[in-house]
Amino acid sequence: MARFNFVEGTAQYRSYRWVTWGLFLLALLLVGFAYADTAQVTILDNRYNLGLPRINKAIAFAVAVLGLQVIVGYTGQLALGQSFFFGTGAYLAAWLVADQNWPWLATLAVVVPVCFVLGVIFGVPALRIKGLYLALVTLGLAAVFPAVVQLDVLDEYTGGASGKSIDSDLLPPSWLPINGINSVLQNIPLLGQYFGEGDLSSRELERIWKYLLFSILAAICLWMVSNLVRSRPGRAMRAIRDNETSAAVSGVNLSWSKTMSFGIASALGGVGGIIYVAELGIASPGDFTQVLAILFIVGLVVGGVGTLSGAVVGGLAITFIPEWASSTEQFPGVPDRWLQGPTGTFIMGVLLIVLTFFLPGGIVSGARRLKARVVRVLPAPPKGYQPGDPTGDDVGADVTVEDEPAAADTDLAAR
Amino acid sequence: MELFVARLFDGLANGSTYALIALALVMIYKATTLINFAQGEMAMFGAFIVLVLATEQGVPMWIAVLIGMIISALIGAGIERTLIRPFDPADHLPLVIITLGLFLVFGSLAGIIWRFDPRQFPELFPSGSALSFGVATLTWYTVCVVATVLAVAGLLTVLLNTTKIGLAFRAVSSNLESSELSGIRVGPTLQFGWAIAAAVGTLAASIYVADPIRQLEPTVMARVLIFSAAAAALGGLDSLWGAIIGGIAIGMVQSIVVQYVPFIPNEMSLATAVLVLVLVLVFKPSGLFGTPAVERV
Amino acid sequence: MSDKLLEVKDLRGGYGPIQVLHGLDFHVDKGEVVVILGANGAGKTTTLRALSGMIETSGSIELEGEQILGAKKADIVRKGVAHVPQGRGTLPELSVEDNLLVGAYVRKDKEVQADMEKWFEVYPVLHERRHQRAGSLSGGEQQMLAVSRALMSRPELLLLDEPSLGLAPIIVADLFDRFSHINKDTGTTMLVVEQNAQLALSIADRGYVLESGQITVQGEASSLMHDDAIRKAYLGV
Repeated sequence: MARFNFVEGTAQYRSYRWVTWGLFLLALLLVGFAYADTAQVTILDNRYNLGLPRINKAIAFAVAVLGLQVIVGYTGQLALGQSFFFGTGAYLAAWLVADQNWPWLATLAVVVPVCFVLGVIFGVPALRIKGLYLALVTLGLAAVFPAVVQLDVLDEYTGGASGKSIDSDLLPPSWLPINGINSVLQNIPLLGQYFGEGDLSSRELERIWKYLLFSILAAICLWMVSNLVRSRPGRAMRAIRDNETSAAVSGVNLSWSKTMSFGIASALGGVGGIIYVAELGIASPGDFTQVLAILFIVGLVVGGVGTLSGAVVGGLAITFIPEWASSTEQFPGVPDRWLQGPTGTFIMGVLLIVLTFFLPGGIVSGARRLKARVVRVLPAPPKGYQPGDPTGDDVGADVTVEDEPAAADTDLAAR
Repeated sequence: MELFVARLFDGLANGSTYALIALALVMIYKATTLINFAQGEMAMFGAFIVLVLATEQGVPMWIAVLIGMIISALIGAGIERTLIRPFDPADHLPLVIITLGLFLVFGSLAGIIWRFDPRQFPELFPSGSALSFGVATLTWYTVCVVATVLAVAGLLTVLLNTTKIGLAFRAVSSNLESSELSGIRVGPTLQFGWAIAAAVGTLAASIYVADPIRQLEPTVMARVLIFSAAAAALGGLDSLWGAIIGGIAIGMVQSIVVQYVPFIPNEMSLATAVLVLVLVLVFKPSGLFGTPAVERV
Repeated sequence: MSDKLLEVKDLRGGYGPIQVLHGLDFHVDKGEVVVILGANGAGKTTTLRALSGMIETSGSIELEGEQILGAKKADIVRKGVAHVPQGRGTLPELSVEDNLLVGAYVRKDKEVQADMEKWFEVYPVLHERRHQRAGSLSGGEQQMLAVSRALMSRPELLLLDEPSLGLAPIIVADLFDRFSHINKDTGTTMLVVEQNAQLALSIADRGYVLESGQITVQGEASSLMHDDAIRKAYLGV
C-alpha cells in the first residue's frame, strides 16, 4: 500500500483534493508575480530565461497540444497538422485585432467556429484515409500553410512574408488590484525578495494580466476536454481509438465522432494560436511550418499521449527545451560548435526516440508511477458493504493490467 | 507547344528525384507497411557526406557518391536493427514517433555539423543541352537523371527477382508469418530493405542538388519528401515501378500546373501535391499499381 | 519401439496473460501420422505454434533428442520442421514457382529445381499455373501449393494446421488421400491438427484429443474412431 491512502467519497479525500488544488493554484499565482520581470537563472555561466512571456508561449503550445490529445490521444487518429489550425487562429485573431479593432477576447467568437468548421472539412476526407497515410497527408497540410498565408490574394489580410503585427495592448482592468497583491507578496518575510521591489511597471502589469487571462483560458479548455473525455461522445472516441470495427459494430457513428473530434482538436489549435499571437504581437509565416507540427507531436509524446496534464507538460517542454538549448553557450565537455546549431531540435528528436523506448507514456506516466507510491485513491465501496465481506482481490486472477496512461485522465492534480 | 515541351522536360528532371525518393519509401513500406518520415532528411545527410568526401577529401565525384551510398546503407541497416526491430510491426504509433524523431535528429545534426549556408554541390553529369526544340531544351542533366532512375529501378528489379535475398524480401513483403515459417530471418531481410532505401535516398539527394540551379543545405529535402510521398501513393505504395511512374507524373504535373494554372503561384505546387495525395488516398487508396489491402477483422 | 522424432513434455504456453496450453504430453514417432483433434478454442493451433517457436512456452520440446523449446523460429525450420499454417499461408503476390522457392529457402543443395519438378508432377495444376500469382489460385490449389511449399524444405516433421478448413468436401477427401501417399512414399512424419476428426483419423496412426489446453484422450487411430465419447463429441454419431 502507498504511504497515503484515500477512499473516494470520504471527507478525507475531499480535503486532500481541496488542499492539492489550492496549493497548485497558489503556485500558479505566485509564478505569475515572481516572473513578471525578466526572470533569469544562471547555471554554468549560461543565462536561462524563465519569464512570463515564455510561459505564456508555453500556455499557447499547451492548448494546441491539448487539441492533439483529443484527436490523437483519445480518438487515435494520426493527425499531424495542428500547426495549420494554430496558424489560422493566430492570423485570424491578428487581423481582427489589428485591422478591425476587435478586443482580444472577442476573437474567440470567430476563431473557434472557423477552426472547428475547417477541422470538420478536413476531417471528411480523413474518414477514408487511415493510419500512416493520414499522418502523411496532415503533415503535408502543415507544410502548405506558409504558402497559403503568403498568397498574393491574401496579402492585405496576412501581411505576406513579413507577417502581421499588432499594436494593441492587453491592459488589466482598473478594478483588479494587481499592484496591491504584489505589495502584499513583497512583504512576506524571506520570500518577499522574489517579487521585486516597488510598484510594477505597466509592462509588468500587462504581462501578469495576460498570464492570468491565458491561464484561465487554458484551464477552461482543459476542463472542457476533461468533461468531454468522460462523457458519452468521449467514450465513443476512445472506442474508435481502441478498435474501429468494434466501435462501429457497437453503434458508434464513426463519421460523426471522427469529424467532431477533428473539429474540436482544430478549434483548440486555433485558441492556442490566439494566445500565441496575443503574446508575441506578430504572426509571421515562418512560425507555422511543418516543423511546428512535429514539435507539437513532440509535446504530445513527451507529456504523455492520452492524458490531459500531458498537454501542459508537453507545452512547457517544447517551449523551454529549444529556448534553453540555444541559451546554453557553454557546457563542460561539449564542444562549442555543438551548442551553436539547432541543438534544441536535436535534443527533442533524441528525446522522442528515447521516450518511445523507455517511457512511452511520456513524463506524466512516469510521474504517475512515482505518485502511486505515495498516494493511492481507492474507489468507494458499494452500498451495503460490511468490512470483512469478500472483495474481488481474492479471486486469484493473475492478470496484471499495465499502467495505461490512455485511460481517462481526470486527475489533473497529478503533476 | 514549345513551352509545353519545355515544361515537360523540367518536370522530368524534378520528377526523377521524386521517383527515387519514392522508390526508397516504397522499399521500406513494402516490407514493413511503415512510412519512413525521415527518408528525406536521411538522404540529405547522405548528400552532405558525399559533399565532404568530394570537396574535403578530394575523392572523385562518382566514387564519393558510391561511398556515400554505402555509408548511408550502413546507417539505414543500423537504424532498423536498433530502433525499429524492437517494436511490434503492427503497432504504428511508436514507429511513427521514432521516424519523426529521426526526422528531427538528422535535420538538426546536419545543421549542427555543417551549418545552414548553402553549398554548391559538384556536378555529376555533363552540362549543356542534348536536344533543343526552340525554347524547349532537354539538358544533359535531365537525360542523365532519367537514365539513372531507370538504371536504379532496373537494378532493383533484377536484385529482387533473381537473388535469394530479393526473394526473401518479396516474401516478407507478402506474408510475414509464412516467411518466418519457411526459415527466412526477417530481421536481416528488413535491414536489407532499409539499407537499400537509405542508399537510394542518398543517390536521389545527390542528384537533386547536383543540378546547377540548386544548392545543398539542411532543409533542402523537406519539401521533396512530401512530393515523393504523393508520388509513392499515386503509384501504389507497394509497387516499385509505380513509384517511378508516380514520381515522373508528379514532377510533370507540378511543372505544368505552375505554368498553366495562373492563380497557383510557385509555392502552391506543394499544395497541389498534397491535393493529389488526398485525392488518390480517398478515391483509389491502392494507387495506380498497388495491391488493394484486405482488412481482416 | 520405433524412435521418437518429437517428444513433448508438460508444454505450457499462450498469448501474454492468456494461457492456452496447460501441460501437454505427447510424442510423434518417425514415419507416423499423428492427429490432434479438438473443438474450436481447444488449443490445437496454439500447440503447433508452440512447436514452431512462435509463442512463449515452458516445458520441454525435443526434436530427435535435441531440446528446441525457446529456439528461434528460423532455427527450428533449419532443424527440419515445416509448418503449414491455418489458412494455407500462401504468399499471394509471388508466383507459384516463387512460393515453392521460398519453401526451399533453407536448403543449400542443388536439387531444389528437381524437387520442384517432382511436385509439379504430383500436382499438375501447379505446373499449369507455375507463373501465376499464387493469390489467384483456388482454395484447394492453394492448399496443394502450401503442402508442396512445406515439403520443398525436405523436412523431418511436417506440421499441418487444419488443412481441411474452408475447402469443399470433395477436394478435402482428395487432399487427405495425397497426404497419406506422401507419408508412405517419402516417410515424412506428420502431425496434423484437425477439426474434421473422421477424415483425419482415417489417415492417421495415432491421435490425441485436446480440450481446453489439455489432452483428454489418446490412442491408436482405429480405437479412437470407435471410442464412444469421441464419436459423440466429434463425429456426431
